[in-house]
Amino acid sequence: MDESRSRPKRPRTLPDPWLCAIFIAPTVLILTLMVFYPFVSLIRYSSLDFSMLRPDVTPVSVGWSNYIDLLTDKDIWQRFVFTGKFVLATLSIQFVVGIAAAHGFQRDFRGRDLLFTLALMPMMFCPIVVGFLWQYMFNSEWGMVNWLISLLGIAKIDWLGKSENALWAVAIADAWTWTPFVILLATAAFRGIPTDIRESAQVDGASPAFTFFHVTLPMSLPIITIAFLLRLIDAFKQFDLFVAMTGGGPGSETETAAYSLSKMAFGYFHTGQASAFAIILLVLILGLSMVFVRYLTSLSNRI
Amino acid sequence: MRRSPLSLAALVVGAYLVLSDGPVIWLILSSLKSRQDLFTLPPKVLFHPVWTGYQAVFGIGAASTTAIAVGLYESLVTSILVSVLGTFFAVALGTLAGYATSRFRFPGHGDFMFFVLSTRMIPPVAVLVFYLVMYSRLGLIDTKVGLILVTTFINLGLATWIMKGFFDGVPTEVENIALVNGYSRLNAFWRLVLPMVRGGIAATAGFCFIFAWNEFSFASILAATTAKPLPVKISAAMGATGMEWTQIFAAGVVLVVPVAIFFFLIRRYLLIGMTFGVLGKRSG
Repeated sequence: MDESRSRPKRPRTLPDPWLCAIFIAPTVLILTLMVFYPFVSLIRYSSLDFSMLRPDVTPVSVGWSNYIDLLTDKDIWQRFVFTGKFVLATLSIQFVVGIAAAHGFQRDFRGRDLLFTLALMPMMFCPIVVGFLWQYMFNSEWGMVNWLISLLGIAKIDWLGKSENALWAVAIADAWTWTPFVILLATAAFRGIPTDIRESAQVDGASPAFTFFHVTLPMSLPIITIAFLLRLIDAFKQFDLFVAMTGGGPGSETETAAYSLSKMAFGYFHTGQASAFAIILLVLILGLSMVFVRYLTSLSNRI
Repeated sequence: MRRSPLSLAALVVGAYLVLSDGPVIWLILSSLKSRQDLFTLPPKVLFHPVWTGYQAVFGIGAASTTAIAVGLYESLVTSILVSVLGTFFAVALGTLAGYATSRFRFPGHGDFMFFVLSTRMIPPVAVLVFYLVMYSRLGLIDTKVGLILVTTFINLGLATWIMKGFFDGVPTEVENIALVNGYSRLNAFWRLVLPMVRGGIAATAGFCFIFAWNEFSFASILAATTAKPLPVKISAAMGATGMEWTQIFAAGVVLVVPVAIFFFLIRRYLLIGMTFGVLGKRSG
């Protein structure tokens, strides 16, 4: 027996570690260039008084003062409060409507698959188009929404002219887009519950409402939590809809934190201070993402 | 005997469908309305359709040469080019990285996966503060190359995670047997494993295309004048007489058609794509 037969021959071939390194290198390179390098640079910029419009002026180091200025600025806190209210508004609509609709879709009825597909439609639209569509429909003079509520005898509402109304208008537009996402995940969660559990609850005389709130919902909580964390992070950074619907107005009352940052960076070009702001947002989001990952890991260990 | 009321479920589904698809129908109708018909109350359901919006988007006829429509067709072409190439690069690189992270454990594996996931979470404006500086130094502002790079980046994390999931679904025995039979690992990957995840690659491409196609934030800052993709172009559709609603809505309908087709084609994988591969079955 010759040597080459007893040992599987693997000539002219890359060792596995090399193959792994080569396969992963382009991704590492791009992510380093687009995430890691910017993050480090933003930290550096955040200690400078610097505007990218004046590259000839040597940036002056100002230490922590960009952060201190931001964190002591009442307007910035207002932006975070507004962002929080918006997140709360849109998530409440999405999850109440989404879970209710997903529950409705649990029943077997004719044409369900087609209707389910139609129910997902809003998610497919380009966010900027969604923003313009709702701006058009929320117009106080000739908009569809005010016309419909006038049929109910309700007086016209100045949807986008007043900040408290605009908050709800944008939240409705955002919830309209993303409720299908909640439906999709909630449906998956409901389908994952063994039918005999629900059936036995019914046999024991539990009302449908009791079964839903005490059996179905708790059992689908893991997946609904995943949906919640993903939607929370996305709602927190919502930007496109505000651009299309309010432009941050009236005044700067409907600017989210992300929107204020974009004005600071690309309107006034206060690059140094904007970098500090960006770092604050990034740290917040990374914190939320870590919660998400922790949750996922604990979940996959349990299953 | 208590029975869960069918009528309640039907009512909920019905009401939801009216609320979700009503605006969609309204968008389609409005994309065919002339300026007068857009603003009449009560809203017109029957009207004489005009095609100026669509003509402007596709660069056909007189409607496309009006001041406000100029460049609309070019931005549609930019959108197609950038989305297709950005998707191609993201899927190609994400497939390689997905295979490597699925099959090999290396130091920092978990941290790397979190780093990759974080790209999905990052608020675009935050990194854009730096991208604008970087792009202007590299001369990438308002170029298609710059847009393709950023489009590749926004989808690379998604592609890596989803493809890792699909590769996890292929038993390692496939390669082990191939290696014993004299295949190199590269050959086994290319000839055996890759064909097994064809469906997964197609689904990943579908998702990447959708996100690339609808992307607005990055492009609105990095390509604000000459290389605008369609979503950025229509956000500036302000004419002398206000918003060009017909054009915006026509562009909206044109933008949604490919997305709807992809949604239909990859409907089995919707959960995977929408949750970063966290949920859903992953067979190739």
